[in-house]
Amino acid sequence: MSATSSGMTPAPAPVRRPFPVRTTVLVGVVVLLLALVPWTFGAFTVATFTRALVFAVLAMSVNLLTGVAGMPTLGQAAYFGVGAYTGALVAIHWSDLGVLQLVLATLAGVVAALVTGPLAIRGRGVAFLMITLAIGEIGFSAAGRLDSVTGGTDGLSGIPPVVAVPGTEGLVNEGLIYYYVLVVAVVAYLAVAMLLRSPFGLTLRGLRDNEGRLRAVGYRTDSYALAAYVYAGGLAALAGSLWASSQRFVAPGDLGFEVSALALLAVIVGGVGSMWGACLGALVVVFTQDYLGQLFSGHAPLLLGLLFVLAVYLLPKGIAGGRSQWRRLFPRERSQEDDEAVTPV
Amino acid sequence: MTGWLDAHLVSMVDGVAYGLLLFTLAVGLSLVFGMMDVLNLAHGTLYLAGAYTAYALSDGSWLGLLLALVVGLVVGLLGGGLLAAAVAPLQGRGHLDQAALTLGIALIAAEVMVMIFGAQVLPTAPPSALARSVSVLGHSYPLYRLVFIAVAGLIAVLVYLAFERSSVGALVRATVADRDMVRATGVDTRKVLFGVFAFGAVLATVGGVLGAPIIAPGPGVDDRVLVLSLVVVVIGGLGSVRGALLGALLIGQVQTLGVALMPAFAPFLLFGAMLLVLVLRPQGLFALGRA
Amino acid sequence: MTTRRTSYLLALAASGALVLSGCGGGTLGGGSDDAAAEGPIKIGLLVPQSGVYKSLGDDMKAGFEVYLEQHDDKLGGAEVEVILADEGETADSGKAAAEKLVKQDQVTVVTGVVSSAVMNGVVDLFETSKIPLVGSNASPTTLTDATYIWRTSYVNDEPGEALGKYVAENVDGGVYFLAADYQAGKDEVEGFKKSFGPAGGETVDEVYTPFPDTSNFQPFLANAKSSGAEALFSFYAGGAAVEFVKQYDQFGLKGDVDHYSAGFLTEGGVLDAQGEAAEGTFTAMNYNYDLDNELNKAFVEDYEAKTGMKPTTYAMASYDAAKVLDMAIEAAGGKADPEAINTAIGEITEVESPRGTWTWSNIGTPVQMWYLREVQEVDGTLRNVVVDELGELGSD
Repeated sequence: MSATSSGMTPAPAPVRRPFPVRTTVLVGVVVLLLALVPWTFGAFTVATFTRALVFAVLAMSVNLLTGVAGMPTLGQAAYFGVGAYTGALVAIHWSDLGVLQLVLATLAGVVAALVTGPLAIRGRGVAFLMITLAIGEIGFSAAGRLDSVTGGTDGLSGIPPVVAVPGTEGLVNEGLIYYYVLVVAVVAYLAVAMLLRSPFGLTLRGLRDNEGRLRAVGYRTDSYALAAYVYAGGLAALAGSLWASSQRFVAPGDLGFEVSALALLAVIVGGVGSMWGACLGALVVVFTQDYLGQLFSGHAPLLLGLLFVLAVYLLPKGIAGGRSQWRRLFPRERSQEDDEAVTPV
Repeated sequence: MTGWLDAHLVSMVDGVAYGLLLFTLAVGLSLVFGMMDVLNLAHGTLYLAGAYTAYALSDGSWLGLLLALVVGLVVGLLGGGLLAAAVAPLQGRGHLDQAALTLGIALIAAEVMVMIFGAQVLPTAPPSALARSVSVLGHSYPLYRLVFIAVAGLIAVLVYLAFERSSVGALVRATVADRDMVRATGVDTRKVLFGVFAFGAVLATVGGVLGAPIIAPGPGVDDRVLVLSLVVVVIGGLGSVRGALLGALLIGQVQTLGVALMPAFAPFLLFGAMLLVLVLRPQGLFALGRA
Repeated sequence: MTTRRTSYLLALAASGALVLSGCGGGTLGGGSDDAAAEGPIKIGLLVPQSGVYKSLGDDMKAGFEVYLEQHDDKLGGAEVEVILADEGETADSGKAAAEKLVKQDQVTVVTGVVSSAVMNGVVDLFETSKIPLVGSNASPTTLTDATYIWRTSYVNDEPGEALGKYVAENVDGGVYFLAADYQAGKDEVEGFKKSFGPAGGETVDEVYTPFPDTSNFQPFLANAKSSGAEALFSFYAGGAAVEFVKQYDQFGLKGDVDHYSAGFLTEGGVLDAQGEAAEGTFTAMNYNYDLDNELNKAFVEDYEAKTGMKPTTYAMASYDAAKVLDMAIEAAGGKADPEAINTAIGEITEVESPRGTWTWSNIGTPVQMWYLREVQEVDGTLRNVVVDELGELGSD
């Protein structure tokens, strides 16, 4: 199982990790709790949870590049937008079937990432960050310009309700839309989890930790970087399709710098490298902006600012960064064990 | 050819003014990044603070401008010092945490400034002696921008000489290239770092004071200016004064002459130019030290 | 991974659930979705409280409040509770705020909305929840077949359309179009061309400047100047309008190329910021503070007492939205019944407004008079002054 895709190189470390029983239980419990949301909360809260879940999938895509492969990105909103517009256009002109929209949107994201990826991976670190920023901004401007396809800056409305199961009605109730998004998000989470446990996932971490050494032992690191970029692009586009189905409206703002930046910040707040951290970070960011922001009308930017400052100081490793930092915050709890490493997924 | 030149001369002159304004912003960002490895996303906030200072204090007299410059200098020193102190505990934690922290600070500061100055764009008048247009080869051009070119050009030359020719500059350049080596020779690099941070911040606020009549203060200006200076910095190469200057002048022309020549592609020019440079030379045009 | 960590996560989730559980029953299965029949009628005021459109939002909020204050905080004889929501800057933030008003606060009716993108984004929400939205600014041209959406402002292409014929007849030579590159800018230019071309106007060029990222208009203005155009038709609002007008003066177009624009260019606080550079600019608008009628005099007086400023068209449209709701709630018997109120809104035949009397068009926008205004110095301050009538629009 330690063979890599190229076959000509030694594996990073022939680890065979046991099946993660506890993680599985944990994920199961969390999914169960999430499944209770529509039975517990009112419509607006459920709709906010829906947005948070979509944003969580986008955050996972950003984290795959930023946290796992070590390539911080500010351009994932471009692929999110490609997916959102593709999903919306498929829904308007062709079919309101969810699966079809998801598959075609993801494919569109993969193609977009395949075309632009070779440019992006020319740089690493800040250069990569700025190239992805440029891709995002150009995508944003283009979305506003291509009136005939995207509806221009006023956005694309009139997206029919998504049909989850063929032959049934389209989803209008917030609770049902939430379940549709939840199911797809969980599948996406599992797909990422499997990817990270594969040899490919381990190699990506090698890319982050020491690309030079990886290259020295014969890996074509650029191919791995591109593969990660394409995978992340598809994932972001999948999130975009969910966005189009749940909001039934897509505008160039969905490709904007703010979306990319918030997704990156969600990853940082959640704990760089940890997928469930990215999801939690997305939840915290969306609820801070849409929920608390409305409670303190007009002060969402201030609240987000405070969130980021506090998170960086108080939770240096992010929400998912282990218990020791939480213990420091609440010193009454006695501690025995030391900090644990961030466990991806 | 002369017809073309005549039509676009003003754009080119304006590109120089714009480029020099960007230089005063970008050079601080570039050095702080190159030396301290700190990605300061609150840099645009410093420009905005300087511009608001100019708005609040300049009353059309030379004294008002002078007062604004002095206050802007103090604001820059304080702001730079505070930011340096804020990121100090984050040593060794990587760019992402610094980015989140400084962006958080920028968001909070932006909100505070809206509370003080309101949400309108506040055009700032230059000293009344300069508040008119003059003829540049038959084309009307604001006198203030011409004077700005001279002043900002002087600042650019001084900064360049200080970094490339003085002993303090040599120390700073050495710190960019290899911080540990400089520390090993007995220099307190933390002082150098604080000094550069404060210096970069002062340049940004002074740029804000002088630039307020060109890019007026208002909500969102901090972001726009930050993105422009980031573009300049990565095009020029991190940690290089020469790179920042050339990058700034290049972006200045792209944003004026380029737009005049290709108005239909205006929204794509800035990032298109950056993409082109980075794809060809990911380390920027003038990379120093670590790429 | 430890069991302790599991329990900490569960605790986290549980506490999160506790925080949020104040919001009432579930969406699925026995939710308490029925709106409270007792108590004041809830009205959502959806305007920007943050971001670049905040000053428009402030005007609209003040206009609405002036109407309430003039009427003892009652609309249609009923007590009302105004719930403010922050539209923010983007379609997403505006949509989230609208959802909160409709789904959580369960308002009976919503008013406001600055951005056309937000307006487009919330069409489905209001149409499916059958809650009336009396918009007081945003008005995309494509919005023509909504049942629950009304606008007391205008349609985005009308300021341009009002001006096109006049410019064609009064400018001797070509006209250069410069507008902010987003849908509203394109709509204005399209509207202008609708009446400009047939009246024999001559177009030199049509250029759109990146929005909102353009603060230096020099290259665009240089091109306009060297094109030899006699006049300029522009569309800018807010901060961009300030920069544009100042640079139009600085780069020597003022006095050489006449400037015509949609009224937003010089509306409200931006005119003070533009200063002398704005003098002599011609704009088209559906309202001006100096209109001579009793209702307007009272409105201007109360608005000035409240804010210290002359009212803008944004404030006036929001004032009129309150007026429309006043009439409709009264006709609907003073009850919090969205359906009845929506029907009553449609049955309104005439609205007495500070801008003069107007009626609904068949797409739920005003049929109203448009005015040509010139920026002139009045008693030492620069003001928009009505110099001509441009005719009535909205009836087709």
